[in-house]
Amino acid sequence: MGKATVIPFGPQHPVLPEPLHLDLVVQDETVVDVLPQIGFVHRGLEKLVETRDYNQFIYIAERICGICATGHSIGYAETVEALMGVEIPKRAEYLRIIWHELSRVHSHLLWLGLAADAFGFESMFMHCWRLRERVLDLFEKTTGGRVILSVVKVGGVVRDIDATQMAEIIAVLDGIKDDYTKIMNTLLTDTSVKNRTVGVGHISTEDARALSMVGPFARASNLPYDVRSFGKGAYGDLADFQPIVATEGDCYARVKVRCLEVLQSIEIIKELAAKMPAGDIEVAVKGAPADGAQASNVLEQPRGECYYYARGNGSKNLERMRIRTPTSQNLAGMTVALKGCDLADVNMIILTIDPCISCTER
Amino acid sequence: MDRFSQVFNEVPLAEVHDLAARRAEEGWRYVQILAVNTEEGIDLVYSYMKDGLLENDTVKAVGADDAVPSITDLFLEAFVCENEIHDLYGVAIENIAIDFGGMFYQLAEKAPMTVVSPEQLAAREKAKKIAAAKAAKEAAAKGEQAAPAAPAAVAGPTEEEIQAKIAGLDPEKAAKVRAAMEAKAKKAAAAAEAAAVPAAPSAALTEEEIQAKIAGLDPEKAAKVRAALEAKAKKAAAAAGKGE
Repeated sequence: MGKATVIPFGPQHPVLPEPLHLDLVVQDETVVDVLPQIGFVHRGLEKLVETRDYNQFIYIAERICGICATGHSIGYAETVEALMGVEIPKRAEYLRIIWHELSRVHSHLLWLGLAADAFGFESMFMHCWRLRERVLDLFEKTTGGRVILSVVKVGGVVRDIDATQMAEIIAVLDGIKDDYTKIMNTLLTDTSVKNRTVGVGHISTEDARALSMVGPFARASNLPYDVRSFGKGAYGDLADFQPIVATEGDCYARVKVRCLEVLQSIEIIKELAAKMPAGDIEVAVKGAPADGAQASNVLEQPRGECYYYARGNGSKNLERMRIRTPTSQNLAGMTVALKGCDLADVNMIILTIDPCISCTER
Repeated sequence: MDRFSQVFNEVPLAEVHDLAARRAEEGWRYVQILAVNTEEGIDLVYSYMKDGLLENDTVKAVGADDAVPSITDLFLEAFVCENEIHDLYGVAIENIAIDFGGMFYQLAEKAPMTVVSPEQLAAREKAKKIAAAKAAKEAAAKGEQAAPAAPAAVAGPTEEEIQAKIAGLDPEKAAKVRAAMEAKAKKAAAAAEAAAVPAAPSAALTEEEIQAKIAGLDPEKAAKVRAALEAKAKKAAAAAGKGE
């Protein structure tokens, strides 16, 4: 074994779109220890809850992340609704989940493109992002926004999707599904992709459980934890929901789980569209959360379980709003996955974990 | 299928690590740790999940001198939250497995989340007043049941009525409504006094009238209006002196 050397990795790195820094302790070509560091872009968004009332803060919650924006607005709204004992109409629950699952499709396609780009498959990157554009077009048609949708409010949603638009969503998703299946099959059977991913960055089921890992990162290690399986809101009306898992626990398994989750999300949207109940899309929310009242909530974001907490103080401003993002939970798992890998595989492992540091730096 | 449910428990600081050890043994998932800055100290909330049940164990009012044991020996993934709480709230957490020693976040200010903003202070005071008003109202209701109250001599709104009116409004609007109602009460009291003892007509505005005039204006404008009105009052007083 050669002498241990520390190699800094990030926060500016060609394959990392996120401000993550790693100190990699390397012996020869093998990573023997890792120290992850974030905190370069901490924005203090949680503190802003003191100067915005609980209706205004939803627009800040949405801006925590450009990819999981809809999820954050839903998670925040659900938490405040729990805090104030508000029950929203069934149709609003369905609409929220349809936009949220569309967000998962666009998030996974974005990630797949970036991952393909990282292992030198540039045409795949372009195909994935071309498909993602069609999802963004659906957002634009139904909400007016492409990234930040601003459709969720405390008490429901602000826009409805009529039958014509719903039919269009289904038609577009069917089109995406055909194209996507071809891309996915190419990716999952390609030898060069397998060479880079199979057996790399392995995490066992026991480690995944011990490190409380979440999202596709955990499910790829055969840990079937998915918040959607609790059947909250419209998820409870799905005929059957089974988390997608893989047993291998390596980079290939993580790619596979995300690839299949895109198809699963498309099926969820189609099922909910078929079952969509009629009725109101919002209820009036009056008053303010009581002093000392508190509520917590979890939501399955594209990257995994996200935790929300709110505490009231009797005024319209919350005393505290807290969001623990999935990446924060997966950082420990990432260090374990990186230990013992080849230096050349570091970027592949990080990308298949899909960390969202900006999200974590609320 | 497990259904989601949540519970909030209170635990003493001394039991945090033992509880974490028990939960690790029983197969609970670590979810997160958060801090809330309160007037009594920092509240820490440790969350764990098992079979859809999210348990939030709250440690109340951790002081600046209290040493909080780290749970990273049991749940390594907690190092992110523990470093964050140390950096943002200044809570001393001992033996964190990956300890950044206050350099986890690059911050311009030490423990920024413990800074109480004027908005938060206003919200807390309002909450206290509402609670006090509620208690007073309840006490008054009890008193009324015991002996019917004498008819009010003054027509102006009482403190209880003001509190009832501003409950649920946002702090800015509540302040305006309060100022306006207090002015109304004072005016009513002054009118009652005037009716009892006929006073000499005054050319200048009284303090109450100035208050009523500036209620609802923004602080800068209010200061200007107040200065102008006070100057006018002085002038009027001087003129009255000359006249005599």
